Amino acid sequence: MSSTLLDPPVAPSHQEIRQKNRTPYLPWLMLSATMILLGVLTGYPVVRLVVMSFQEYERAQLMGLPAEWVGFDNYATILTDVDGFWTVLLRSFVLMVVLVVITMVIGMLVALLMMRVGKALRLLVSVGLLLAWAMPSLAATTVWGWIFDTQYGVVNNLLTAITGDRWFGYSWLLNPLSFFTILTCIVVWGAVPFVAFTLYAGLTQVPEEVMEAAQLDGASAFQRFRLIQVPYVRSIITVLVVLSMIWDLKLFTQVFVLQDIGGDRELTNTIGVYIYQMGMAQGHYGLASAIGVVFVAVMLAIAYPYVRRTLREDEQ
Amino acid sequence: MNKNRLVGAAASAITLTLALSACGNAGGAAAPEETGPGEVRVWLVGTDTPPEARDYLKKTFEEANPGSTLTIEEQAWDGLVDKYTTALAGSDAPDVVEIGNTQAAAFTSAGYFREITADEFENLGGADLLPGFVEAGDWEGKHYALPYYSGSRVVFYSEQVLGDTPVPTTLDEYVETAVDLKTDDLSGVYWPGQDWYNALPFIWENGGYVAEQAEDGTWDAGFSSEGGLAGLEQIQTIMTKGNNAPSDAQETDLQVPFCEGKVAFLSAPSWIQWSINAPEKPEDPDGVPGCASTYGSDLQGLALPGKDGGAAQVFAGGSNIAIAQKSARPDLAMSAYEILLSDEYQSILAGIGLFPAKTSLFEKVDQSTSIGKAAAEAAANAKLTPASPKWADVESQSLLQTAFSRIAAGDDVKTVAEKLDADIEAILNS
Repeated sequence: MSSTLLDPPVAPSHQEIRQKNRTPYLPWLMLSATMILLGVLTGYPVVRLVVMSFQEYERAQLMGLPAEWVGFDNYATILTDVDGFWTVLLRSFVLMVVLVVITMVIGMLVALLMMRVGKALRLLVSVGLLLAWAMPSLAATTVWGWIFDTQYGVVNNLLTAITGDRWFGYSWLLNPLSFFTILTCIVVWGAVPFVAFTLYAGLTQVPEEVMEAAQLDGASAFQRFRLIQVPYVRSIITVLVVLSMIWDLKLFTQVFVLQDIGGDRELTNTIGVYIYQMGMAQGHYGLASAIGVVFVAVMLAIAYPYVRRTLREDEQ
Repeated sequence: MNKNRLVGAAASAITLTLALSACGNAGGAAAPEETGPGEVRVWLVGTDTPPEARDYLKKTFEEANPGSTLTIEEQAWDGLVDKYTTALAGSDAPDVVEIGNTQAAAFTSAGYFREITADEFENLGGADLLPGFVEAGDWEGKHYALPYYSGSRVVFYSEQVLGDTPVPTTLDEYVETAVDLKTDDLSGVYWPGQDWYNALPFIWENGGYVAEQAEDGTWDAGFSSEGGLAGLEQIQTIMTKGNNAPSDAQETDLQVPFCEGKVAFLSAPSWIQWSINAPEKPEDPDGVPGCASTYGSDLQGLALPGKDGGAAQVFAGGSNIAIAQKSARPDLAMSAYEILLSDEYQSILAGIGLFPAKTSLFEKVDQSTSIGKAAAEAAANAKLTPASPKWADVESQSLLQTAFSRIAAGDDVKTVAEKLDADIEAILNS
């Protein structure tokens, strides 16, 4: 109501009433395209995933046989499967932590490097990072696979030349530990550019004067980094860590391709590949869906701090 | 705020309902069958089917069905079960598909293939079709996938590489010869670690088994049985002491090391003779070079020797062929199917040394060469993997590939065998 005590009370015009009570169509209309797309591409698969996780859904059901409801049977099966599901989940988490830490450390170092070097070198580093960032992970993994190829790989070749021992025929991928070392190389190699660029962008926003003042006060380079630069980019780091955690947990292509080249599937499965094998390869769609639902819940829990932070910033 | 939420919820609900109902219809009533010209897609796997057969299929089909086209799309054996599981259930399914004989049950049991009626079966060859392969494509007394070809593995060698070394006549001699011949540059037997097909004869010859079904229907895997372990020991001896192939590699492009002259014995499907006996400079720019003038010129074949001489029991390799349930044009698919199983087409397959789908055409396989003779001896003594629809899951999980890679890498045979048995039993008994 726009009337106050000072103004003589005037009945609101017809026009005003209509405006007040009319449902705001336009915003919804403009949102509708997005919502339909999200509903079809994200909403529907999620609903279908949840529905399937409560059904016995195998290859025959995919061909049209009616699916039977089995309640929480699928969940019970996977949650009691210590050798399968829990081992894979734990392995994925450990791998994720390692990957995130290494990615962040190297990313930060590269960002700091880019702050220091001259224009020409910076350009060179940027181009290099962009190329790595632009490389499709499938292609990258295949090339890394060749590098570590058992028979014709560069690594075995160099090792033979350097040590004089015969390294031809040494299989890097069969041993889970060296498998994950190579996997870490591939993933970190692909993830560092984004982290480095983002951190570099953040670091350039740290005011020169503050850094200079600290230097005059006798702060060492490490102290300046720890006490000035890091606090300035703290929110960026948080976002990057959360995003990296999600990406590294969702890992699929790299693991799948490396396993194909010659890894022990059972000892190197991560959650994404495990779901694929359960569902696509073996046709247990119900079980795979249940794992998917549990996995979505885990991911949401990880993403929660990020979403909350974003919302809080919006409110400010 | 509340109101907005409500509208939002309503909009999402509407979207979802639309999406759900749209999908609900797709699985329902079948569309009325089309007639007239159309398109048929045939999925053949690997390079086993020779170009002449492909050309014949396309030409004959398009002559018999004027206006229609037939496309052959080549698939890879690797990951085939995964691919078929989704591709054959989708709306863009191919019409006719080749499938490995040991993988067929996963699909016949789940309704992926169109039933071949008794009349059609008679028409396509009936009792003349390879019985073991017909059985592999049956489910609950009905035919779904018929034989395409069979071909057991043959041991190849080049006389100039083997030299004076006598050809082994028993399995033990084969192992010894392989170890004796091996140098840094020569594999006694070239055996990439993931090649499990070649490992099965050693298990069977030593009295072991892959998996057997008990009276109560449960499966018992036998790699860790006494005979199984004896076989695995022999396999490990060859793989680690008589072989330079990578322990983690697959059995692809086996003609390459053979043509480098770095292989004494190579156990491979019989059609690989044509890859070895190809010109050094392939006519097709994408072709793989062979070595017709060198190691291919004196290529010989040998049936893998058994424990007590004679031919060993080997894995009955081969394919079945089926019409996809979701084929858009079953009428045209059947027309292509009839050509694939026709005497003319099957004779082309016999011409390159594959055993055709019909027993009456076996005589068309050239048995005058040592390779043809070896192939026939091996086929006569061939065995299949366990007849369970879940066996395909064992394959798609690469359990055997992994186990034999480990054996090739020198891991303890008993540990590997016990783990493999437990994993196989878990799948077959699930």
